[in-house]
Amino acid sequence: MDKIDLFKLHKADYIAPKTPQTCYVANAHYLTINGIGGPGEDNFNDAVAALYAVAYTVKMTRKKMALGDYVICKLEARYWSEKQKCLSEVDKSQWNWQLMIRTPATVEVSDIVQAANVLTDKGKTKSVNKVKLIEHEFSHCIQMLHIGPYEEESRTIEQMAAYAKDQQLVSIGEHCEIYISDPRRIPAERLKTILRMPLSNSHGS
Amino acid sequence: MQNKIMRKTTQQSYITRMVNVVNYIQKNLDNELTLEELAQQANFSSYHFHRIFSGMLGESVKELIRRLRLERAAIQLKTSRASILSISLAAGYESDMAFSRAFKARSGVQPSKFRKSEQARFPCLSSSSVRYVTNEHISSFEPFIDKELNMNVMIKQVDDILVACVSHQGPYQECGHAWDTLCSTLAPEGLLGGDAKMIGVSYDDPDVVAPELLRYEACISVEQEFSTTDDIKFKSITGGSYAVTTHIGPYQKLHETYQKFFGQWLSQSDYESADKPCFEVYLNDPESTEPEDLITDIYLPLKEQEHG
Repeated sequence: MDKIDLFKLHKADYIAPKTPQTCYVANAHYLTINGIGGPGEDNFNDAVAALYAVAYTVKMTRKKMALGDYVICKLEARYWSEKQKCLSEVDKSQWNWQLMIRTPATVEVSDIVQAANVLTDKGKTKSVNKVKLIEHEFSHCIQMLHIGPYEEESRTIEQMAAYAKDQQLVSIGEHCEIYISDPRRIPAERLKTILRMPLSNSHGS
Repeated sequence: MQNKIMRKTTQQSYITRMVNVVNYIQKNLDNELTLEELAQQANFSSYHFHRIFSGMLGESVKELIRRLRLERAAIQLKTSRASILSISLAAGYESDMAFSRAFKARSGVQPSKFRKSEQARFPCLSSSSVRYVTNEHISSFEPFIDKELNMNVMIKQVDDILVACVSHQGPYQECGHAWDTLCSTLAPEGLLGGDAKMIGVSYDDPDVVAPELLRYEACISVEQEFSTTDDIKFKSITGGSYAVTTHIGPYQKLHETYQKFFGQWLSQSDYESADKPCFEVYLNDPESTEPEDLITDIYLPLKEQEHG
């Protein structure tokens, strides 16, 4: 049986142009975990670990049961602020985030629950119980590749915002990222991140 | 400053010891030389001897022996009247045909032409400066060392690590099925994720051992043993001092880093390798990571230092 690689299968959803470009990301299934606080802080890292633990446990358990094999996709994240403010105006500690790993539609909620149970039994982080399986449609978005430290994303975001204004497109105020590089070893100036700006439908093209 | 002097001394001692090995090879070119025998000549741990050797000399033991035998044959062609066949046999070839081919590949001319020619010289093409010599001993040599040894090495004290493992024998690239068995057994137990480390133990140097005989173990660290299928074994990876360096790039290129690590870093350090295998810790998922972005920590076991 062939291994499903959603990231490669849906290349159009992960375009990473050097200048802003629009794309349409259809409904898809994701493993997710939500939280509040700055990226890279303890609860964020704990959530990343929990999400991956569930993702690999589900993948390998299903593989053992001959339910098909697939590649674990890149980590994605949505960031927003409760107060509908622009994120750059809100302190990081108030950022809401949802970490996501795209997952084949064949994966079921029961897989997630079971994975969380066995992981909890073995004393892994309790956050595994917060991992959920959701469907999400990003719909119309502007995307662009950001190369460099996460802290310098604003220059890329400004380009995307200028493009949106120029094209009379309106952001829904959410900021999304798809992490291409491994920040543990890739030097910050070479980190690649796809930035995604979901657009409001009423103004979308 | 003192550190620098000490380093020089250690490197000197690695060179001195390796010189003994090379001289031993020169004296015994007609014998079958085993790695154990050669390692003993200079008090090297036989476990990692070959990697230190090829890293320092830039060629494997086999290549060096083959080359020295050819260099000796070249001298015999010029200075003796022995038949080309007998020179071929003495150089370890089964026939004069095979010898001619090897000789021509290196020198560009057939042995018979070489014998007649006044000008023809046997080229000494090798990374190290070790040549076949008669009636003299090598007392030192320039090790084959990259101009800049760009290697970050940390010395770590490692505790014993209990692991669940699946053995694999065959080419290292084909160890994937061992990993599949291991991961799909551990996943339903809730043992993936968190602090679980993915560890590979490679027992053999692919430069020495035939691909189908290479031994490897896919391991994942666990808190305790549990009852499971026969394929899964439990063992403890012995702790102690380890030198650790990071290899970034495809797994196929790991051996290049091993070579540098042993032949260059180790031979210039104040450390000796211990008689146990290296292990590798894989820090990302090869399925979803581009080969050039793969990160692997290589742990080289060290003998405990004797401190005064």
